[in-house]
Amino acid sequence: MYRIKSGDVFHNRNMKNVQKTIGEIKKKLHNSIDVADRVIVKNGVEVAFVYLKSITDNLIFSEALFEPISNFERKLTFEDIKQLVKANDVLTIKPDEVIENVLKGAVVIFLSDSEKILSVDILKYNTRIPSEPPTSPVIMGPREGFTEDFKTNITLLRRRFHSDQLVFESLFVGSATKTQVIISYLDGVVDKRIVKEVKKRLKAIEIDGVVDSYYLMTLLTNRPNSILKQTGSSEKPDIVAAKMLEGRVAIIVDNSPIVLTVPFVFLEDLQNSNDYYTNYTYSTLLRFIRIVAIFIAVMGPGVYIALQLFHYNILPLKYLITIADSTQQVPFTPFIEILFISLLFQVLYEVSLRLPAYLGLATSVVGALILGDTGVKAGLISPPSVIVVAIAKIALYTIPEQSAQVTILQYIFLLIGASLGLLGLIGGMIYFLNYANSVENFGTPYLAPFSPFILSDNKDGIFKVPIDKMRSMPKSFKNNERDRINEDS
Amino acid sequence: MKIVDRSINAWQLGIMLFILLFANKILVLPSLLYDDAKLEGFFVPVILFAFEIGILLLFRKLKIKYPNESFASVLQKHFGKVAKMIVYVLMLIFFISKAVLLYNVTYIFFRNMIYKDSGNFIFLFSLLPVVIHMVVCGLRVMGRTMQLFFPPIVVITVFCVVVGFFGITENVPLLFEGAAQQLLFAGLKHISSFGDIIFVFAVMDKVKIKKGQWKVVFSLASAAAVMVVVITVLFMVSFSYTSFMHPYAIFEIMSIVKEYGGIGRVDIISMVLIIIYSYFHLAIYLKGFMLSFQEVFLKLDASYGLIAGNLVFLIVVNFLIINLEKAVTYAETILPYFAVVPFVVVPAVGIVLLFMKKRKREDET
Repeated sequence: MYRIKSGDVFHNRNMKNVQKTIGEIKKKLHNSIDVADRVIVKNGVEVAFVYLKSITDNLIFSEALFEPISNFERKLTFEDIKQLVKANDVLTIKPDEVIENVLKGAVVIFLSDSEKILSVDILKYNTRIPSEPPTSPVIMGPREGFTEDFKTNITLLRRRFHSDQLVFESLFVGSATKTQVIISYLDGVVDKRIVKEVKKRLKAIEIDGVVDSYYLMTLLTNRPNSILKQTGSSEKPDIVAAKMLEGRVAIIVDNSPIVLTVPFVFLEDLQNSNDYYTNYTYSTLLRFIRIVAIFIAVMGPGVYIALQLFHYNILPLKYLITIADSTQQVPFTPFIEILFISLLFQVLYEVSLRLPAYLGLATSVVGALILGDTGVKAGLISPPSVIVVAIAKIALYTIPEQSAQVTILQYIFLLIGASLGLLGLIGGMIYFLNYANSVENFGTPYLAPFSPFILSDNKDGIFKVPIDKMRSMPKSFKNNERDRINEDS
Repeated sequence: MKIVDRSINAWQLGIMLFILLFANKILVLPSLLYDDAKLEGFFVPVILFAFEIGILLLFRKLKIKYPNESFASVLQKHFGKVAKMIVYVLMLIFFISKAVLLYNVTYIFFRNMIYKDSGNFIFLFSLLPVVIHMVVCGLRVMGRTMQLFFPPIVVITVFCVVVGFFGITENVPLLFEGAAQQLLFAGLKHISSFGDIIFVFAVMDKVKIKKGQWKVVFSLASAAAVMVVVITVLFMVSFSYTSFMHPYAIFEIMSIVKEYGGIGRVDIISMVLIIIYSYFHLAIYLKGFMLSFQEVFLKLDASYGLIAGNLVFLIVVNFLIINLEKAVTYAETILPYFAVVPFVVVPAVGIVLLFMKKRKREDET
């Protein structure tokens, strides 16, 4: 791997000495095994090609570059080479841009009798074809997803907007990786101040490498230490396109299939692409279920433990008897018991993620059936606790994008429930929601359109109205407000 | 620590008023009112709410006359620095004393109903960090949080009222049981449970109300007043002659229908409502204290107000909570005198301010 320090560029003022120059380029690249060079001598003029064979197209190199130049009969000049090259991206570059261009998959061509340098982009590497992303499968609707190749991702978006409004702007982030980051938006729809702010924040990032878009996620927020996710992310071009239509900015990062979007509000994770490809009343029902599920996931174990430890007297008698019967043999305190089951689940989850699929299934069987069942039979854990934790853990994945935050909150509320009871739990909820209300990114309140309450945006909030009723642009964040549907239509 | 209070809109102000007018009047007050004035006791909130809505009308007039000015600056401009300081010191005392009363009431309720073996610290640990966080995050964030909780608050309150109707088992005469003198006496004795509306004067410059949105503020405040009266009547009618034996009104009307169909105990829902109200109400009081403190101690920033508020609160609470008799004496004998602030001082100053403005214009002409 090339380790280039920030600001370290190739400086060779005497490009005419071809062999020496090739040697210096190779030295700069630490004589890496994939650095290739070819030299042709034509009528006393040396023509050198330097490139990285690992990321360039060999066929294009030989057919579009090497052959036309080597078959040329007359004395070669720099202008002749420019004419002979049968490629699209041909640039005349400065000496200090040589290394950068080679690293980006270009062939650098220079002559013994000219100081000019030519860079021909013939970058090629294996890419995945767009397929259904595992993180967001759909029952109805488009199934293609972004890939690791940013060019493919640009194509996927371009296919959805046959409009001159679609803009792609590029910049590089990371002193070592020099990762290409594409900012995409719809001109006339987006608020230009947001685009300006995104560029400012990206340019301000000082990091050695960006290997995935998640690296930029926290760096794009003004409260990076927050537990809350403040940047949208999606693997599906239809979702990103829909967000861009609302005036958001998309950030495509090379080598990452996850495209980021800003500004972000919590509501976006509550929405699912299936909601837009199914009946709107059913979507509303699903959104209610998701909210209830998240509530159960966060509060469930905490409420159970608070009722058991502090407020057993407010439980109906028949529930109280059931719980008392089940827990009287358990040697642990209720808190330790719930914590133990939660951690066991978390361990099983981690194992099933990292193991191959066939082993993961076996682990789930061992964990869920053998450990759970035997634990209950041995009297180490009680059935109600297993049920409560299982429901909470399953409910957590109704909004998978928020699973990390919800898991942390689940443990926090478990601790609060065990130490402060119901009063503490409701206080914790108020504290957390107050905190979420204080979070604003790109001038957008995190919990909009719920608080501050924006009626028009709630047409696609907890309730989902038919598409023809969602006429206006979202008011939760800055955009060029306009009607999305013509009043006459 | 920098505390920034950004402006709030009509909805947020209205919801704050809804919570303020509601919170501590649905727990112990109805029972005490019955004890002092029999079934006619429900006239007390009717009369005192009418006063509070009148104060809100006065605030509206002042806000229209001085759209971007704080109450403190208007006071100072017309009456001088000393008068402003006196009014704000009184407001400061009023907010902290009301916070102590609220804490007292909720503490006794929670300890008796759901925390049988727990001490005072568990309540302070639960309440104070949340309340302080709300105050620190600023008025707008606090308003947004209350806005977020407003739909569940309304749904639960309406649910409690509806369930309360099931508790009415017989027709009870509503009037002519007690004497008018008793009503007057009860009103004066429990006047300290009212008057929270003066919080609006503390945030006068931080309220931005667009044209035509005053109706939102008045509707929400009136809705809270109507709901409190309805709950009071429901409670008195449900328990009739034994109302004085049931100290926690909203909880008691739900207790009548403890086991409801297949759902189970529904009285827990009213408990959740009381908890939510307690947090928000305390946060508003502490905010009111902090903002008043800033006007009294001009050289100290907001964080000192917050620290001072907490210290005074802890000292008074510790002094009163350890002795229940003292707490009752405090609520029924000392605290009514503080009601002079919302029912006499602030309205009087407000009316004079309106009058002075008119006279000033006349002078100019």
